[in-house]
Amino acid sequence: MSTMSEEKSIPRVVLVGLASCFGCQINITNVEAHLMEVLGQIDMRYWQLTSSDPMPEAFDVAVVEGAVTTDEAVRTLQRIREQARAVITIGACAATAGIPGMAAAGYEPRANEVYGQAVPAIIDDIACRPRAVADVIEVDYEVPCCPIDPYDFVRVLQKALYGANPYERTSTLCGECKRNERGCFYGRGIMCLGLVTRQGCGARCPDLGRPCNGCAGVSPDANVKGARRVAQHSGIAPARFDKALEMFNQVTQGVQP
Amino acid sequence: MLYRVIDAHELPALVQAFMCDYEVIAPVRSGKSFAFEAIDSFDDIVLDYPTTLTSLKKYYLPPRETLFEYDMVDGVTDYRMEVRPRVLFGAHACDINAINALNLVFEDPRYPDPYYEAHKKATMIVGISCMPGDSCFCHLLDAGEVRSGYDLFLADIGGRYLVSIGSVEGADILEAACDPREATDEDRRAFRDYTRRRQRAFNEDIPSVQEIPMLMDAFHSDDFWEELGSRCLNCTACSSVCPTCYCFDIRDVLDPSGKTGRRERVWDACTSPQFALVTGGHNFRPGPRERVRHRMYHKLNGFNAKHGRYLCVGCGRCVKACKADISPIEVLRFFEQKGIEDGERDAD
Ligand code: SF4
Ligand code: SF4
Ligand code: SF4
Ligand code: SF4
Ligand code: SF4
Repeated sequence: MSTMSEEKSIPRVVLVGLASCFGCQINITNVEAHLMEVLGQIDMRYWQLTSSDPMPEAFDVAVVEGAVTTDEAVRTLQRIREQARAVITIGACAATAGIPGMAAAGYEPRANEVYGQAVPAIIDDIACRPRAVADVIEVDYEVPCCPIDPYDFVRVLQKALYGANPYERTSTLCGECKRNERGCFYGRGIMCLGLVTRQGCGARCPDLGRPCNGCAGVSPDANVKGARRVAQHSGIAPARFDKALEMFNQVTQGVQP
Repeated sequence: MLYRVIDAHELPALVQAFMCDYEVIAPVRSGKSFAFEAIDSFDDIVLDYPTTLTSLKKYYLPPRETLFEYDMVDGVTDYRMEVRPRVLFGAHACDINAINALNLVFEDPRYPDPYYEAHKKATMIVGISCMPGDSCFCHLLDAGEVRSGYDLFLADIGGRYLVSIGSVEGADILEAACDPREATDEDRRAFRDYTRRRQRAFNEDIPSVQEIPMLMDAFHSDDFWEELGSRCLNCTACSSVCPTCYCFDIRDVLDPSGKTGRRERVWDACTSPQFALVTGGHNFRPGPRERVRHRMYHKLNGFNAKHGRYLCVGCGRCVKACKADISPIEVLRFFEQKGIEDGERDAD
C-alpha cells in the first residue's frame, strides 16, 4: 500500500479490544464510503477484530475499546502507554467501564454467590473488579458513547494524528437538547439522565424520543446532587435516578449517593 | 409611525404574498410546545401562540455555520454562503427587541460581521401582538413594546389588525396583498383597550424592580450567587433558548479524508465550563457561581453600560428551560427581598 520511505511518517495505529461487545470496533466501519480515506491516513498495524496475530511491538497511536476486567488487560494497557504517543479510548466500556462496569458493585461476594467454595482459579488469578481505562493509564483522547459515532471517531483520530486542541466541552446534555428544540421529559414525569450526562452526542436519544441513558458518561462538571433534586421535583425518587446511572456510570467517581 | 387597518380574513393573502418570494417562518405547534419553522400553508400558523421554546436567533446566527472551506494544499477555497430570503412572520415584541439587541453587537462598525449582515439583509420581520404568559416579564425590562426593527407589526384588535408599517418593502407587500384602510377612532380605541388588557395580564408575582443595573453592582459579592450557582447543572440550556445569548466558538472541522475541511462557527455559552478557559489552562470563571453570575450580569448590567439597554428582553424562555430555577426573575426576587429587608431595618 505504501512505500518504505513513506511508512516512516505515516502514524502506525493499533486497535485493541478489552472487555467489550466489539460493537465500537465494528461501528468504525460505518463511515462506509470514507473508510478507505481514513485508512489511507494511517498505517493500520493491528485491528484486533480482524486478526488473531499478536499486537505488534511498535506503534504510534493506540485505540482502546472495552473496560479493564483482568490483570492481563492492565498489563496490555501498560505496554500500550509505554509505546504510544497518543492513546484514544472508544466507547462507554473504555471511558466509564460502561456495561462491564455494572458488575463492579459487590464484585467479590458475587463470585462466591455464583461459585460457592469452588471459585475457579482463573477468577481469583486473572479477573479484577471492572475499571475504566483512564483508571489504569493516562488517556489522551476519548470517543464517548455506546456505541461510538463513527464520524466522531474519525474526528478524534485526526486530532491525534495532526495535533489539535484536546479540550472537549464538559457541559451537560440539556443545552444540546434545547438546540434540537425539544421539550423535556421531566415535564412529562419521565426520567432522563441528560441532566448529568456530558454533551457531545447531540442529545440524539431525546431527539429520537427516548430519554438519555447516560452512555456518554457523567460529566466531570455534572451537579449530581442538583440533578437528583430536579428529578425528585418531577416525582422521580433519587434512588431510581441513581439506579439508572448504574448502567453506564457505576464506577464513576462522585456519582454514588 | 404609519398605521393602517386590515381585516383578519386578509391575513392569508398577506402570508401568501410573502410566500411567492420568501421562505416564510412562523410559529407552529411542536409537540406540547411551539416552534418557529418554515411553513407551507397559512393554516399551520398558530397566531395566538405563547412564547416558543427557542428563539429566532437561529436565523441570524445559526447554531452551526460554515464560515469558509479549505484545502490542506491550496488553503482557503472560495466559499459562498447560502442566504435564503426569509420572512419571520409572527414575532412577538420581545423577540424583535432581542434581534435589535443582536444588531447592536453584530453591526458594530468596528467589528462588522459579514455573515450576520447577509442573513439580516435577506430577512424581513412581521411582528404580531401577544398576551403575556406566566413567565413573561418583558414589560419590566423595557422590551414589552417594540418601536423599530420590523417591516410590519400586526396588532390584533378584534377581527382586524392595526398594522404598524416599518419599511417601504413591508408597505408595498401590504398594499399589493390586502386592502389596507386608514385607522378610525374606533380602531384606535380598540387598540388602546387591547394594550390595557395586555398590561393587566402580566404575572404580578414577578417583582418590578427599579435601578437593576445599580443593584447588580451593589450585590456583586452576595452569597446569593453561591446559592444560585450551587443549583446550576452546567447544561447551557438557558443560553441555547435565549434570544439574545450570542456567544460563539470557532473551530476547524476536517473532512474524513483529512484533505479538506471547514471553519465553523458554533454557539457557545458563558454557562459552559470551558467558556473562559484560556491557553495555559487558566479558567477565569471556574465554577457555576461565577458563570451564572456572569450571565446575569451581562443580561442586567454589562450590556446596559455599553449599549444603554438590557440584554434580557424578559421572554421567559430560560425560566422554563432551566431545571434549576435559575433566571433573571430569581435575581429580581432577590433584589425585592433585599429591598424589603432594608426597609424593615430602616423602620427598626
Ligand atoms: S461501548 Fe457499547 S458498543 Fe462499544 S464495545 Fe462497549 S458495549 Fe459495545
Ligand atoms: S433532561 Fe433530557 S429531555 Fe430534559 S432537557 Fe435534559 S436532555 Fe433534554
Ligand atoms: S442521548 Fe444519552 S444515551 Fe443517547 S447517545 Fe447521547 S449520551 Fe448516549
Ligand atoms: S435571559 Fe431568559 S428571559 Fe431574558 S431574554 Fe434570555 S431567555 Fe429570555
Ligand atoms: S442556569 Fe440553568 S439552564 Fe443555565 S446552565 Fe445552569 S442549570 Fe442549565
